[in-house]
Amino acid sequence: MRRHHLHLGAAMAVAVTLTAAGCTGTSGTAGSGRTADGLIDYLDYGDFGGGSAPQANYNPYNTATALGPTHYVFETLAVYNTTTCKAHPWLAAKWQWTDPKTLVLDMREGVKWNDGRPFSAKDVAFSYQLLKKHQALDSSGVWQHLSSVEATDADTVTMDFEKPGLSVLDRVLKVPIVPEHIWSKVKDPVAFTNAKDPVGTGPFGVKSFNPRELRIERNPDYWQADRVRVREIRFHKNDGGGTVDQLKLSRGEYDNNAIFVPDIKKSFVDRDPKHNRYWYPPGGSISVQMNLTKAPFDDQKFRRALTTAFDREKVINKGQLGYVRQASQTGLVVPGQDKWLPDGLKDKGRIGYDRSAAAAALTAAGYRKDSEGRRLGKDGKPLSFTFMVPSNMTSWLPSGEIVVDDLKALGFDVTLETPTPEVGNNDRDTGHFDMMFGAHGGTCNMFLNFSDPLSSKQTAPIGKPAPSNFVRWKDGETDRLLDDLQSAPDVAAQKKAIAGLTEVMTEKVPMIPLWYGAKWFQYQTDKAVGWPNNENPYAGPGDHMLIVTHLKPAGG
Amino acid sequence: MRYFLRRLGFFLVTLWAAVTLNFLIPRLQPGDPAEAIVSRLAGQSQAVDPAQVEAVRKMLGTPDGNLLQQYGDYLSAVVAGDFGVSYTYFPYTVTHMIGQGLLWTVILVGVTQVVSFAVGTLLGAWAAYRRNSRVDSVITLGSTFVGTLPFFWLALLLIYVFAIGLKWFPEGGGYGGGSNPGWNWLFISDAFQHSVLPAMALLIVGPIGSIMGMRNNMVQTLGEDYARLARAKGLSRRRIALTYGARIAILPNVTGFAMALGGLLGGTLLVETIFNYPGLGRMMLEAVSSHDYPLMQALFLYITIGTLLANVLADMLYGVLDPRVRREEAV
Repeated sequence: MRRHHLHLGAAMAVAVTLTAAGCTGTSGTAGSGRTADGLIDYLDYGDFGGGSAPQANYNPYNTATALGPTHYVFETLAVYNTTTCKAHPWLAAKWQWTDPKTLVLDMREGVKWNDGRPFSAKDVAFSYQLLKKHQALDSSGVWQHLSSVEATDADTVTMDFEKPGLSVLDRVLKVPIVPEHIWSKVKDPVAFTNAKDPVGTGPFGVKSFNPRELRIERNPDYWQADRVRVREIRFHKNDGGGTVDQLKLSRGEYDNNAIFVPDIKKSFVDRDPKHNRYWYPPGGSISVQMNLTKAPFDDQKFRRALTTAFDREKVINKGQLGYVRQASQTGLVVPGQDKWLPDGLKDKGRIGYDRSAAAAALTAAGYRKDSEGRRLGKDGKPLSFTFMVPSNMTSWLPSGEIVVDDLKALGFDVTLETPTPEVGNNDRDTGHFDMMFGAHGGTCNMFLNFSDPLSSKQTAPIGKPAPSNFVRWKDGETDRLLDDLQSAPDVAAQKKAIAGLTEVMTEKVPMIPLWYGAKWFQYQTDKAVGWPNNENPYAGPGDHMLIVTHLKPAGG
Repeated sequence: MRYFLRRLGFFLVTLWAAVTLNFLIPRLQPGDPAEAIVSRLAGQSQAVDPAQVEAVRKMLGTPDGNLLQQYGDYLSAVVAGDFGVSYTYFPYTVTHMIGQGLLWTVILVGVTQVVSFAVGTLLGAWAAYRRNSRVDSVITLGSTFVGTLPFFWLALLLIYVFAIGLKWFPEGGGYGGGSNPGWNWLFISDAFQHSVLPAMALLIVGPIGSIMGMRNNMVQTLGEDYARLARAKGLSRRRIALTYGARIAILPNVTGFAMALGGLLGGTLLVETIFNYPGLGRMMLEAVSSHDYPLMQALFLYITIGTLLANVLADMLYGVLDPRVRREEAV
């Protein structure tokens, strides 16, 4: 019996070694792994979401618990490149505003559901009505902006907006469209897992699933099937909190992944400099945020003085391993959002490091130093406050230390606090903090980029949880500009309102952006080429529809 | 009989207290599950979309009524075995999720614990039987040494040597991505392959407690008067060791074993986390970190009930094994 076991173990060990060797073999040779009809046989991708024990869930509206590859099955009316914010007509072939509150969309012809039934404008109207009826499914809050969505005929959808709709267009067009002939029979669409052969219009269908691996396969009847050159994608469960996945990445087991890797050059690129690449485009701004209900943070001059106090270069190169770029004080993500920058702004609103200027400005604003070098408040007492970085934000912690050192160098008595994530988030939401890091903006929706962190509608009194304006910025001018932006009927009016908001950011300094959070993206070019990158940012790392319609087999 | 009834009564009171605490503790924790879920999805450096948080909050629903009403609802749900819907695995129910992890934990931890108990007791008895011999020093010193090694370090060492270095076994997980979970040979052999390293880790440290306990107890019982009398009577050393020494010395170990089996439902958090084993321990860790109250509550309840039941069983077994216990209680 014992012997038998040993044999079994040995045999399996051999089998495992062989499979592992097989994997590296295919991945290491350029141009291999192609099918007879010139498609890429399969690609290995990283995690597919769903926690440590993922369960089959392809309900595209359950954004919190659906498995990631659901996005390859269901499509939206338009697809946005999240790096440049360019809109690509998708299920809607084109659209036009008949007036600022009415949008008419022409559906694409020849689109079919992957069960063979034709797609029509009725499916679109049905999908939007579903979200209206079940608010739990409306995860981007489109019905805050819409008043009605109707199929005027088989190919046309008309959307009516509460206010001029241009500022929320991207959000409204990003709703996944589901087939009416299936979902109309679902009793409770909120608790619908759609686990068996999900029907969508997308380029891929689910092939197989187990909690460790999810495979999707190409939909041969897809409306732009000629642009999809990948036969199968295999998603692998990322476990071990990253270290095992980092190891697998450096071994070349992934064609594409999106994980944090310390020293990416040495552990990944150098392993195969010809094929291993990474691209970390900027996401939202990470800012030093102050509790604006407290002194001295409620003093505009104090905040302005601090804009030059932080050694952003050190924060970026030491705290963030050089993976990120310096943020603009405007709140815009440059260079992606350059077109919204007001004219005549120096260095796109990026502010340099000048400690002595900060010290002088503080003194001039009435915050003197005493004989012991302590910075005093206006009441003559030494200023002392805390800087909060929740303990789970490990990637922010080194930067937090640098910022605290910079503040100490100005004579402040600052302590770095690292509460548990529960306590930290609760303190942030209810306004029980002095200073902290906060992420904001970075999406393609300029209205929400500014209104989430700055609108007085997004805040709450101290002690009550604020939805997103945690600093508690309340400013009439800001609210007016946000209203202007929300109801702007054209790009010129949007531009004017945004210019005003960037001026609020640079003049009144409700927060101090330091860097842009990076979006991780690693890829290999031995099997597939045509990945987005800095030279060709046709898509952001998460824009799967755009990427999968651009990939081509390597070497041909 | 009275002894057994009393034990049973004690069990019920403890159970009620545990169930009540289980209701209260999650409600005293700060933090909003919906926000926790969305911010984890968004990633460390990205802004959280308030509209999405709001939708998730609506999806999870908020408990109805005041605390007392909630408590009533909770009690009746617990009696009916309905623990609701998991937050992290919405819309899958807690019962479904526990079903996913239960078998993995029961097999891995159950088997290793029974083996650890058997091996540990035997080794301990052997060491006591040959006390102060070379065998005794090897066993005692050896297990003390292994016992001082941090468990996670040992487990990582196993991964490093056997999974990364020699590549004999996979680094973690309960089974591979290519296999099809179910009762088929390919899957079972794959699952076995994946269980070797975690089982090894558990088996290295598992027997230590039983070894030390058994050896010390038995050394003591062998020094008692009745053991001396047996020796004077001319009984063989082996017979004295087994029927006079081991039989009595094993009693406290039985309690330890029962407790361990009771805690089994919670899985072994550390081993499952290190090896990414798909059992209940890792599920519990995830439930706690992502504010999955329904899942957390059900898991805690399982562990509590398991431990209490095991305790009662151990007590009952004690009554059977050791007549003195019954008599003392009756007096």
